[in-house]
Amino acid sequence: MLSREESELLTRAGPGTAAGDYFRRFWLPALLATEVPAPDCPPVRLRILGEDLVAFRDTEGRVGMVDEYCPHRRASLFWGRNEECGLRCVYHGWKFEVSGACVDMPNEPPEYGLDNKVRIVAYPTREYGGIIWAYLGPAERLPELPKLEWARVPESHRYISKRRQETNYLQAIEGGIDSSHSNFLHASVDAFRVTPDYVEKVKNSSNLRARYHLLDRVPRFTVKKTDYGLVIAVRRNAGEDTYYWRLTQFLLPSHTIIPYQKGLSIHGHCWVPRDDETCWVWTMSWNPEAPLSAEEWKTIREGTFVHADVDPVSFRPYRNKDNDYQIDRAEQRNHSMTGIHGFAAQDQAIQESMGPIVDRTRERLGTSDTAIIAMRRLLLQQMRALRDDQEPFAAHHGAIYWVRSASLLLKRDVPFDEGARDLVAAQV
Amino acid sequence: MNPNHMVAVHDFSPETLAAVAAHLEASTEFEHLVYREAELDAIWSLTGFAPAQHADAQRLHEAAHRAHDLVGEGWPQEAAALLRAFL
Repeated sequence: MLSREESELLTRAGPGTAAGDYFRRFWLPALLATEVPAPDCPPVRLRILGEDLVAFRDTEGRVGMVDEYCPHRRASLFWGRNEECGLRCVYHGWKFEVSGACVDMPNEPPEYGLDNKVRIVAYPTREYGGIIWAYLGPAERLPELPKLEWARVPESHRYISKRRQETNYLQAIEGGIDSSHSNFLHASVDAFRVTPDYVEKVKNSSNLRARYHLLDRVPRFTVKKTDYGLVIAVRRNAGEDTYYWRLTQFLLPSHTIIPYQKGLSIHGHCWVPRDDETCWVWTMSWNPEAPLSAEEWKTIREGTFVHADVDPVSFRPYRNKDNDYQIDRAEQRNHSMTGIHGFAAQDQAIQESMGPIVDRTRERLGTSDTAIIAMRRLLLQQMRALRDDQEPFAAHHGAIYWVRSASLLLKRDVPFDEGARDLVAAQV
Repeated sequence: MNPNHMVAVHDFSPETLAAVAAHLEASTEFEHLVYREAELDAIWSLTGFAPAQHADAQRLHEAAHRAHDLVGEGWPQEAAALLRAFL
């Protein structure tokens, strides 16, 4: 449960709100670099933290991110011409550089010198890890880019996607760190029912997750606060003297790394408020040691796992609430818990079903929701601290993001943070 | 009694309330308060599902809500006192 006041504090992310101010202290994923692929390419629209912006890559390759609306008569610069180091409004020809400076006003007498004084709101950007990052906060508080492993592997070793979700960002994070849902929402009917065929299939499987989730369906949750956010440790009984641990990181303000098994690819998310009722879901898959395999590319193409198949302009998934996520009831009866294809669509369907901003005064949490409670408390603490003029530490210490998730077997008397120490450092 | 361990809340018996109160009194760290909030959530949920004529459950439901908010505000001792009133 969360009070209405705290829920409001956490979920409203427009300018001047607590959450909005907090997110405005970090570099945020804004665009795939491929959305503005070349100098003078067409501009693109972007909505982020409740602000409508237009992004463009200028003649010299710099990426500008400016208010969508021309300060003259408020026409959209999405229709603008991207030419000769600036974006020109096609209504009256005003032209803006990536810095926001107006460098040409052809319909005004030059003696007035207005073009030296007019500016449009413009935000700094960085190109990093295949993404255009934006900073929407005060210029004097420019943060460091987070040293995330997926951003530093070679391009062939990673795949990044984004999709638009019709819920508040917080609901989406809650889904991401709620590891107990995967035994249900993403399960096959056989796994859920623990049929003899399924037991036979997984009992000697190299997939530790499948094997140990079967043995212990009531995991124990532990959380640990860190400089970057939280480690969420989930423990299951394994052998007589061992536990199976899965460690997820929640990195401020809204990144996660999903527990991975050594030798396989790693997956993570970042959720960015689009406005109060929609968010951008960024999904990253990477292999620190090798290019993604043909099998992994097949999974990505088919939208089977964490990446969704989306419209290339709106980034709205093709499976969406207007078509009931293309649910297949026969598939649901016989094979999968949901009958919806792909983990991403399953997550989106269930999170959107809760409404754009779920009423947290009416929820009934259990012990498996410990991670959700911890994440909310941490964000509330951080947002309140910022209101008291304490800048977020993580925003100015990019190196602390150099971590990796883990899943492993440990002797029962070994604390997870000691036993996993070597595994949770990124290694690129 | 270790504030890093969560109390298994299966009911809202005096034993359960005493255990949660004792853990509240020993809680000082962020992590402890998270576990206490989860325990109070569980008490609040259980009492919320109790029959309407169960007057103690209704009072405890309100107290658990208040205690939960106190923990969120960083006041575990005060939250413990609210629970101890039911012992």
